[in-house]
Amino acid sequence: MTEVLASRSFRGPAAEYAIEAVHNDLDSLWLDVPFVNDIDQMTFTTAVIESASNIVQHAQPAGEREVELGVETTVQPALLQARVSAYHAKPPFGPMEAALPREDAESGRGLALIEALVTTVTFERQDGTNTWVLSRTSSED
Amino acid sequence: MEFSYEVKDTYAEVKADGRLNMVSAPKLREFVTDVIAGGSNRIVVNLEHTAFMDSSGLGALIGCLKAARQAGGDLRIAAVQPQVNMVLKLTSMDKVLTAYPTAGEAFSND
Repeated sequence: MTEVLASRSFRGPAAEYAIEAVHNDLDSLWLDVPFVNDIDQMTFTTAVIESASNIVQHAQPAGEREVELGVETTVQPALLQARVSAYHAKPPFGPMEAALPREDAESGRGLALIEALVTTVTFERQDGTNTWVLSRTSSED
Repeated sequence: MEFSYEVKDTYAEVKADGRLNMVSAPKLREFVTDVIAGGSNRIVVNLEHTAFMDSSGLGALIGCLKAARQAGGDLRIAAVQPQVNMVLKLTSMDKVLTAYPTAGEAFSND
């Protein structure tokens, strides 16, 4: 069985304040696992906030219920993982390929940034929930 | 995030302290637009106390850069911290948003 050394879980309406709450969760998570190096903390935090922001900005409700954001982050030996979910949401639309836009574009860099920051990104859809699973293998100091 | 600005001899220095994310990015854009409207078109954004920036924050800086250039000036960034530097490099925007060690050096050779 995989040993979970520390974890945080957030679920709430997909609204702006959720981004600050998730960021505060991550900051407190790193205090529990000081052996995770600064680079891993920095890159993983950035990837999780990018994914959560993408949901807050773009997820559309599938029905009458509002979209909720869920972020479950776990630290395992040599592995950081986050499940970033949009509950009660339509399937995502539009290109999911990560390509950088023109240099004067003011948006469209999020997916490319996420892919550059983590080891793997996978997408799952089940029971009206879109989930991005971000994994980063811890680097050595 | 907290914003402040100070008009210097040859430029206006904007400080953006905190997290530059999807919440604060539109506020930075509005703040800098107001500084430009006030008559300053050479802007230095001092990122010394910007601990975090995501792609929304980066988009806001690009929008501010375009606004400064449209006003006949330029926008430069200073005192970039490691996380912000990482985002600039991974998106290749370090070539577009010129970073200087300190705000005072940003326009010192112009």
